Amino acid sequence: MEILHITVNGKSMEKLVDPSLRLVDFLRRDLGLVGAKIGCGEGTCGTCTVIMNGRAIRSCVIPIMRAENAVIETIEGISKGERLHPLQEEFIKKGAVQCGFCTPGMIMSAKALLDKNNNPTPEEVRKALHGNLCRCTGYVKIEEAILAAAERLRNGEWE
Amino acid sequence: MNYCGTSYPRNDGFDKVTGRAGFTDDIYLPHMLYAKVLRSPYAHAKVLSIDTSAAEALPGVEAVCSFKNTPNKPFNTSATMITTNPGMEPVRDQTIFTDEPKYIGDEIAAVAAETEAIAEEAIKLIKVEYEVLPAVYDPKEALEPGAPIVQPKYQNPEHNNICGCIININLGDVEKGFAEADVIVEADIKLPRVKQVQLEPHGAVATYKNGELEILSTTQTPHPSKMIIAYALDMPESKVRVANPPYIGGGFGSRIGLSGKAELLAAVLAMKALKPVKLIYTRKEDTTCSDSRHGGYLHARMGAKKDGTLVALDTTSWLNTGAYCTFGVELVGVCGACGTAGTYRIPNLKYVGHPVYTNQQTAGAFRGFGTPQGNSIVEACIDKIAQALNRDPLDLRKQNTTKNGDRNWFPFELGSVGVDECLDKAAAEIGWAEKRGKKQEGNIRRGVGIACGTHVSNAAPFCVDYNTIQLQFEQDGSFFIRSGIPELGPGSTTAITQVACDLMGVPMETTKLVFGDTYATPFDIGSHATRTLYSVSQVLEKACKVLKKDVLSYAANFLGVDEAELTLDNAIVSGAGKEITMKKLCYEAHLRGKQFLCTECNVPTNSLPWYADAAEVEVDMEKGIVKVLKIAAAHDVGKCINPALCEGQIEGGALQGVGYATTEEMIYVEGKGFINDTYATYKIPRADDRPELKSIIVESNDPKGTFGVKGIGEVGICAIVPAILSAVEDATGVRFTEIPLTPERVLKGLKEAGKI
Ligand code: FES
Ligand code: FES
Repeated sequence: MEILHITVNGKSMEKLVDPSLRLVDFLRRDLGLVGAKIGCGEGTCGTCTVIMNGRAIRSCVIPIMRAENAVIETIEGISKGERLHPLQEEFIKKGAVQCGFCTPGMIMSAKALLDKNNNPTPEEVRKALHGNLCRCTGYVKIEEAILAAAERLRNGEWE
Repeated sequence: MNYCGTSYPRNDGFDKVTGRAGFTDDIYLPHMLYAKVLRSPYAHAKVLSIDTSAAEALPGVEAVCSFKNTPNKPFNTSATMITTNPGMEPVRDQTIFTDEPKYIGDEIAAVAAETEAIAEEAIKLIKVEYEVLPAVYDPKEALEPGAPIVQPKYQNPEHNNICGCIININLGDVEKGFAEADVIVEADIKLPRVKQVQLEPHGAVATYKNGELEILSTTQTPHPSKMIIAYALDMPESKVRVANPPYIGGGFGSRIGLSGKAELLAAVLAMKALKPVKLIYTRKEDTTCSDSRHGGYLHARMGAKKDGTLVALDTTSWLNTGAYCTFGVELVGVCGACGTAGTYRIPNLKYVGHPVYTNQQTAGAFRGFGTPQGNSIVEACIDKIAQALNRDPLDLRKQNTTKNGDRNWFPFELGSVGVDECLDKAAAEIGWAEKRGKKQEGNIRRGVGIACGTHVSNAAPFCVDYNTIQLQFEQDGSFFIRSGIPELGPGSTTAITQVACDLMGVPMETTKLVFGDTYATPFDIGSHATRTLYSVSQVLEKACKVLKKDVLSYAANFLGVDEAELTLDNAIVSGAGKEITMKKLCYEAHLRGKQFLCTECNVPTNSLPWYADAAEVEVDMEKGIVKVLKIAAAHDVGKCINPALCEGQIEGGALQGVGYATTEEMIYVEGKGFINDTYATYKIPRADDRPELKSIIVESNDPKGTFGVKGIGEVGICAIVPAILSAVEDATGVRFTEIPLTPERVLKGLKEAGKI
């Protein structure tokens, strides 16, 4: 067991962890943050996407000790209480959610993009989602939702 | 109607965008164990000996199961096991574990341990001695004399390696039809095995206590799964609970019945360990050890008169159903019935379908269920007829499509037929008139193509298909619905609630639908066959009528007015100058010892959904790259209950079809099995390589469907492949007879045709 220092959804913590874990296991099992899903466990589907130090990453391929001193954001941490982040709201409104298994990862990839660029082109949105697979939606409504959320962020709706 | 026709936001949206929505792998129970499975490395072998002692001795291991200590009663993992019509017997050719593995991946043993790592290690400690036996992989080779026999005990007694029976459809006199034809064309197509690869892998968590088995899993048919599990384990169905937790990460047919075998594998381990057991398939296991789509071969001959009237169609299919039957027989039937005999008026039609056992993983249900395969060959033929007669393929289709009021082989009235409107709208959207048939030079060429078809809105009367529903008003007048369907992703539970609230006259906000749990809901066949919204709406129609009558007659008595004058709308009963809210009425009834409730059971009618897909492609003649630029998908859904959800089905289905046509193919290597078993190697469309997708909803108002509705779930994928093949032919002059259209395949085809 090793000591891990990590900040998850704004909470700093010190945890005794099994160093053979992946970041996704730590989030799901140790912290009960099951929003990050395991669709493949090998870095190819994006369902486990969380934001680490400002970048969207696949938490299934990150050995936990690589997250030492990291700042992590997960799907559970992006709303303000009951008030949903514009991305979350637009995903519902635009019909971008079907089975929902890809949804947390999609939203986190989108958030990493919009945090840096709140006026992306449709192409930039698509590129940002390259690593996030969805087998249900055909991606049309996901893109629409992200573009609509970007507009709302630009309008300062989330300050 | 208040809700039907609106894009009411889905009931699970909040949970799904916040990470709260529960899926099978999200379940963590006290003392829960983790399971791993030992699978056969051989396509066909006999287990000479198995020694599990070292695995059992490993600290942390709590149960080891194999064919030696587990029930071996044959069953069928698919819902066909319990939906085969009376008079016919389902093929029960599987056991939980086997001592004669028949494909690479077949289950030999399983372990439950404190951690996944220990379970994994224990699996490696199981010693198995195999005798390798001859195997066969190709459906045509499997039918040849002398081919290795895959299922000696269960195959058709008259035909080697035929599973169930050869499907024969004969309408009219096909030879006479060809004799009358002025032009006859032939077409062949070879289709790959493709996989659903829904994002959530198969999985189950099983708990056994007090003689009851509780299973939370990814099945898309909780009640049929309960029946299969109870049968295989010889337990009363009343003591087997199968529930979704409550969400499922897609399925597309791969878990109609069991999720692979996850439910039974977890169950036997839990019964042995007397602790909860979680088994989540790895992506590789999901891809290579559960039902895929059937690949194989189709050949057809089609005849037409000079004026374009189709007179004969003769089709033969050889579809690879793999080592076990699962849905093999039904699917090969649907391929003929819906795929070849559904779309057009063809007076003389013959279909011979071969469901063939091979030593590969099972093929079963995948969105479309045989219809895409059948469509592919028929649409190839009709394009050829168009060429032979120098006709516009769109025009020729419309000349021959089924029309309103037609009867064909389907043993029921067809319902509304909106296929011509679909063809017109898809063609207009793709720019057919301007773009089709443009001669092109140069390296980059564009083309457009179109294809159309039909399917069903449930499985009746071909299979056992019915719904049961329970309705009740709570004591405060809020409305409660219990249905055994799952929520697989389409939003069925939202659309069904919209229908229920409109039928009953109560608001969505105070209505709750409980679903996906055999302990909490009455029987329902589950989500498959494009049936959920269509068939549940029908049982709702029946039940709401009964319940409404009960409410109104009670209210009439209570208010002292004539029942016939009362209506229920927006949760208020009113008429004859009086009114009472449901809130008050239900409470007053409660005070007098009365609750409004009813249970109804219904066999649905069936109606045919229609569709036309148009595709535009760009082909790089030097590199052989086919880029799909746009799909225009027009669907006759009868009546659209929720446009946003409906479009989601169309777009998602269309994109799966694009993958099928251009990139998806399970590649089998002898001795290794299917080798592209990850998302890195099995390529499905991504956000940044998808075409423009335009969904077009056509409403033909079906006379049988509740509010005019028909099915939509499966049909999005059904005609995409022939539409793309037709577009590629328009661009290059070559009709490809094998998919996916990989650059190598395209270059080879262009070369062979002398185009480059
Ligand atoms: S689970 Fe991490 S990328 Fe698929
Ligand atoms: S919504 Fe099901 S995978 Fe995206």
